Amino acid sequence: MSVLSIVAEGAGRYISWGVIQISVANLTIIVVMVLVFILALVLPFPSSHGDKSDEEGRAR
Amino acid sequence: MTTRSGESSPDTKTDSSNWTIWLRTRIEGLVPPGQALPDRQPVYVASWIYVFGVMTLAALVLVIVSGCVLAVGGSAWWHVSSLGHFVNSVHLWSVQLLFGFMVIHLWGKFWMAAWRGERALTWISGVVLFVVSIGTSFTGFLSQSNFDSQWIGGQAKDGLNSVGIGAWFNVLNPGQMLMWHVVLLPLAVVAITLIHVILVRRHGVVPPLDANLEG
Repeated sequence: MSVLSIVAEGAGRYISWGVIQISVANLTIIVVMVLVFILALVLPFPSSHGDKSDEEGRAR
Repeated sequence: MTTRSGESSPDTKTDSSNWTIWLRTRIEGLVPPGQALPDRQPVYVASWIYVFGVMTLAALVLVIVSGCVLAVGGSAWWHVSSLGHFVNSVHLWSVQLLFGFMVIHLWGKFWMAAWRGERALTWISGVVLFVVSIGTSFTGFLSQSNFDSQWIGGQAKDGLNSVGIGAWFNVLNPGQMLMWHVVLLPLAVVAITLIHVILVRRHGVVPPLDANLEG
């Protein structure tokens, strides 16, 4: 195995779409982050206590 | 001591020439009473989107702790020790988590227009913190003491020189970048984080756009 092929191995796989070029690893991370963001919006938040929170807030 | 135990002099409350009183008053006035470490939150905070700020803080603690352990062994420790390699990996992956949580926190706050209700400084301090964190992370990649850091430094100096800030520091100087990474930039990150958190506690967590605050 030549030195060049070792360097190329480390570079990873890339997806090219016009002027856009992104590594598969980076694209995967972005997709997972968007997925986590959406799940954070739609998943119900567990509430172990029946107590009421401070509904007044302090929005000024 | 001119006052007896258990008594306080009424004059000390109003003595504006005493710098400790001035400082104490300022610190006490930073956040409303009971809001520094509150045990209750508005009902709209019961949502997963509100947890990413504190998850970012938790990741930052892990970054700092693992960074302190790395500082004991030195920048080349992780090349020669399996323990050093492990701690270096913890440092790297806690940074990845920190940025992941921070960006999701940013998305959430952007889409709920978190600068509302006199929270502009909170938003701005968060943006500045994001930028300084990128610089801190960048100098970390320059401090790996391997060919990767050398390549990143070679690419970065062209980019930084092209925008005219290359005269202020030298990304090809590993000693300077290591010192920036472990001293100057962490101090800035911690200081801005404190300001950001104090502002959040001072003005409260931003309500959702459709929150009914009258009810």
